[in-house]
This record gives sequence, structure tokens and C-alpha cells, in this order.
Amino acid sequence: MSDVEFESGKEEYKSSITKKVMFLLICLAVLILTTVVSCSVGTGYEFTKTLEVIWDHIIGRTYEPRSPDWWADYYIFNNVMPGVIMALIAGAGLALAGTVMQSMMENPLADAYTTGISSGACLGAVVAIIMGFSYSTVISGAGIVINAFIGSLIPAIIVILMVRYIGNSPSTIILVGTALTFFFNSLVTLVMITASAESLQDAYIWQVGSVTNASWSDMPLMLVMTIASAILVQISSSKLNIMALGEKSAKSLGLDVVQFRMLCIILTSVLIASIISFTGIIGFIGLVAPHMTRYLVGGDNKFVVPGSMIMGSTVLVVADLVSRSLMSFGNIPIGVVMSFIGAPVFLYLIVRRKSQKDVF
Amino acid sequence: MAGKQDYYRTIHKKWLFILVCSLLMLVALVFSLSIGMYNLDFVECYRILIDHLTGNITDIYADDIVVNTRLPIGVFAIIVGAVLALGGAVMQSMLRNPLADPYTMGVSSGALLGASIAIVLGNGVMPFFNDSWIRIIMAFGFSLIPVAVILIFSFKRSVTATKIILIGIAMMYIFSAVVQLLMITASEETLAEIYSWRVGTLALTTWETIPIPLGISLVCGAVLMYHHRRINVMMAGSKSAHSMGVDPEKTILVEITLVSLMTAAVVCFTGTIGFVGLVGPHIARLFIGSESKHLLPASAVIGGLFLLLANCIARVSGEYGLPVGVISAIIGCPLFIFILVKMRRKSAWN
Repeated sequence: MSDVEFESGKEEYKSSITKKVMFLLICLAVLILTTVVSCSVGTGYEFTKTLEVIWDHIIGRTYEPRSPDWWADYYIFNNVMPGVIMALIAGAGLALAGTVMQSMMENPLADAYTTGISSGACLGAVVAIIMGFSYSTVISGAGIVINAFIGSLIPAIIVILMVRYIGNSPSTIILVGTALTFFFNSLVTLVMITASAESLQDAYIWQVGSVTNASWSDMPLMLVMTIASAILVQISSSKLNIMALGEKSAKSLGLDVVQFRMLCIILTSVLIASIISFTGIIGFIGLVAPHMTRYLVGGDNKFVVPGSMIMGSTVLVVADLVSRSLMSFGNIPIGVVMSFIGAPVFLYLIVRRKSQKDVF
Repeated sequence: MAGKQDYYRTIHKKWLFILVCSLLMLVALVFSLSIGMYNLDFVECYRILIDHLTGNITDIYADDIVVNTRLPIGVFAIIVGAVLALGGAVMQSMLRNPLADPYTMGVSSGALLGASIAIVLGNGVMPFFNDSWIRIIMAFGFSLIPVAVILIFSFKRSVTATKIILIGIAMMYIFSAVVQLLMITASEETLAEIYSWRVGTLALTTWETIPIPLGISLVCGAVLMYHHRRINVMMAGSKSAHSMGVDPEKTILVEITLVSLMTAAVVCFTGTIGFVGLVGPHIARLFIGSESKHLLPASAVIGGLFLLLANCIARVSGEYGLPVGVISAIIGCPLFIFILVKMRRKSAWN
């Protein structure tokens, strides 16, 4: 290769990188805009008014208690924003976990819940809701959260322990995870057979996931976990790239595959547990957001990781927005809205792509 | 020549394994006749069957229960289990993905949508049929939509395993979103009906149920078995398949169409019965290996045997019996992990 070609190739590479970075920045801007818009939907306040209120709150302005402005501030900050912010964080965290899982398992069908986390969490929550049995003394919101958190870690721990005995290839982990998912799901069904209609309704809502009952006190754990995991994963994104090449190549490139995989599983498990024990099981994002991102920015995890976090947040925030604005037609779960908007977009992305190559 | 003999011995062992499983299945079938509210023991069932075949019926009541109520359920359990596990084995090999099952294409969610629409709209969809047949026809029709989408897609662009999986996922999400919307607006009774359709049951089987799914699945199954070499080649990846003279794209499309067709034919009668289609082939793989010629019949036999036994337990557990999917997961999962640990060798996937 001549120097000229090399230089032009380099230029091209750099410009494609710039394009991707620009694309991510635009997505981020869209996300921020959507978030602010979402805060004003369903409040009865105009968009500019909402902006003003949020800005005033940030610069620490105080109002006379029970004045109209005080009410606006109170309403937006305590009723609307927690849900929006929770959608933001949960979307990012779930998409992140999905990205890690898919790269690590080298499997496009893998998602954030592949190790059975969701079914374990579901069992924990359903047991708390229906049987009133909880690891903590409070059988209410907190009891459900704690139960779900502990429950979600059970399948993950079983997977990690099993791997010692049956080898640690991705397919074994996937198989054990899937079997555990089936197992815990059928236990959930067993518990639900005995349930009354009301608690069944609660259990059902928990199973499809929701961000409507969020409060600020739910946020810290998932925020910290999401940020910490994002930084860790971003740092090791080159390792994830190597993992996606296949186990043999990864080993020959000097990566301790087994250890790295275990670390990834532990990290994603705790991350997902800290999210879904508050929100319930939100599907779709952990599976589809990484794929959408790969179709848009290619397979390099350096960009896929932040990209799918932004994508996941956007999808979930928009779904929450739509679901709230459709409230007058009935309580449509956020997951349904998400599938309705997200799945056709996803289908379009697959169909549109001309090249033969799979990004995977 | 020792190598050759060794090879033949392993082949014989595999066929022997399949034969033993089939015999076990027959025994289990007679055993399943003895299970239920009306008490009969194993030998009695055997005698009643023989009596029925020779036309020498002594106890009309017992004969009716065994031949007209329990036998079709047992036979259908075998058919359904065999079809799902065979379909799962083919899908896993074709898509080279251990997570694939016969529902990966979106067959189950399509069927659920069709059935839900029929349940919600009732007689309005097709006034000339009775309720249960409308449900079956709608479920069958809708369950073939995803594979139709993939076929249409394949005219314009090249298909790969990943794309098929992703299209299946997208279709599945769209369908289940529509179902959930229907469920929100539905009354409580319809909700219960949709829910019970979703978990799947074999309890409604009569002799009338069997001919159509049996016919379709026999044809599709036979063609799939006939294609076992191609399926083997596909396991090596699409590039290798090309170099061995198999058109990977065409093969994938043909096989997934066959699998979807036969899965749809059973699912529209039973509702979505999970687990067997995913785990049945894996169990077979652990015993038999990945060679399709043996894997396909072995999966079918193991799937049939497994679903038959699971259904026996499901029928007697709980006050009114439990969904067979629940029981198969609760028993099957520990069994599966036990087998994984016991075999301990690298799974057939690597």
C-alpha cells in the first residue's frame, strides 16, 4: 500500500469516526430535548413554562408556599419528573446490560435477562405481592423491591456456580440461563394460580414494568450502578470487541476470557437487579436497543456502548411520554407502547440495510 | 479396520437409543391411559385397548373413557412434543443458535394474536364456522405471517440467520403488543380465555383434533428428515455450505417454512406450549450428538416422550390440573441441568 493510499484511508477512517461521534451527539441532544418535553406532557403547563420551572429549581429559587408557581414546581418535581428520570436511567442501564450480554455471548438473541434475572426478580416480587412473604419486615413497596432484588440475584448466582461444573462456554451459560428462566417463570405461574384477582392485577403490572409510581428515593441506587457500570464497560469496550471475535481469537489476543465473562455477568446482574427491582420487568430495550444502535453506528463497541445507552433512554422516555399522553384511553403499559413504536422502527432498520454483512 | 467398526458401533448405539425411547414412549402411552379421576390400573388399560381393537368390548363406560377421552390426549401429546422438538432441533441447527426454538420465527405470538382476535370478536370474524374452529383457523393463519414476511423480504435482500432471528423478534414484539392492547380492552372472561390459550393445554383434545396436525406434521417431518444432509451442512456455516454445493439462503428459507408450517399446525390446536421445543433437542443432542440424521428422530422421540409424561403429571396435579407447560418446565429444568452436569463434556455446540 502506498503512502498516499494509506493517508487517504486514514482520512476516511477519521471522517467516519467524526461522523459517528456527531451522530451520537445529535442523538444525545434529541434525548435531552425529549426528556424536557416529556416533563411538560400531562402537566397542563406549557413547554416554556416547564423549562422555566426546571431552570428556576436548578438555580435554587424558592417560592411562597401554595402560590401557583410553588404548585407548578411541586407538581413537576414530585409527580412528573421522577418517572421521566427513572425511564431515562432504566433505559440506559438495560440497554447497556443488553449490549454487554450480546457481545459477550456472541449471540444476537441474548439480552439483559439471558441469565434468568428477570424471572427470578419476578418470582421475588410476585411472592411478596401475592403471599405477603418478604425478606424484610415491611410488606409494601420496599418489601417488593427487596424481594425482587434478592430474587433476581438467585438465578445469576446459580449460573455462576453451575459454570464451574459444566464449563463456561457461552452456549452453556445461555442454556442454563434459559432453563432457569423457564423454571422460575413456571413457579411464578404456580404462585399466580392461587392468587386473588386484585393481587393478580398488581403482579401483572409488575411483570410488564412501569415507571409511573417512581419517587426520587428510588433513584440513587440505579443511578450509581448505571453510571459505574457505564464507565467500567466503556473502559473495557475494546475487550468486548475482542470477545465478539470469538473465544479462540480472544484468548490468542491475550484476554482472560473466563474471568472477563464472569466479571461481565456479575456486573450486569447487579446492574439489572438494581433497576428492575424498582421498575418491574421492562422488556424490549435490553434486546433491541443494542441491535438498533449496531445498525446505525456499526459494530465497534466503543460507539455501541454509549450509543445504545442513549438509544435505550430515548426509546423508554418516548414510550413513557406516549403512554402518559394516552392515559385518557386507558392505562396502556409502557412496554406495549414501546413495542408498538420500537418494533416497526427496528424492522425498518433491518429491512433497509442493503449490505450482505451482518453487523454481528 | 477397528475405526470403522467403532464407528458402526456408535451408529448402532444411536439407533438403539432411539428405539428404546420409542418403546418407552409406547409404554408411557398406555400408562397415561390409567391416569385420571376414573381409577384404572395399567393392566386393565392394556386389556381395554386389546378388547377395543378386537371388537370385544366388555365395559362400555371404561372403554369410552380410555379410547375416546384419554387416548386422543396421549396420542396428541406425543405428536405435539415430537413436532415441537423436531422443529426446535432443525431451527437450532439452521440458525446455529442454541437459543432458537420452533417459536423463534414468531409462530407462537402470531398464533396467540389470531386466537385473541377470534376470542375477542367472537363469531363476527367468520360466521360460517363454530367458535373453536374460527379460533383454530385464525391462529393458524396469523402464525404464518412472520414467515411470510421473511419470504417476501428474501425477494429483495439476502437473508442470513441473524436477520431471520431479528425479524422474528421484531414481529413477535409487534404481535404481543397488539395482544396486550386487546387484553386491556377485553372483559374479564375473555381475558381469562386468552390467558388460558396462552399457557397452552392438551385437555381439549378429541379424535377430531388429530388428523389435520398429524397429516401436516408427517409430511413436513418427512421432508425435513429427507433434508438431513443439508441441515448438517448448514451447521458448518453459510460459507462452508456454499462451498459444499448447498445454497444456504434457499435451504434456510425452505426449512424454516416447513418448521413454521408444522409448528403452526399443532400450536393452533393447543396454544403455546413452551420448553419442549427448546430443551428437547438439547437433551437429544447430549445423548446423540449433532448429526442431523440421528438428531432429528431422537429429538422427536424425546420430545414426544417428555410431553406425554409431563402431561400425565400436569393432569393429576392441582385441583383441576395444571398447564402442561408449567409442569414441563418445573420437572424439565432440573432434569436438564442434571444431564448437563452428568455429561460434563463440552456441549455439542462447540
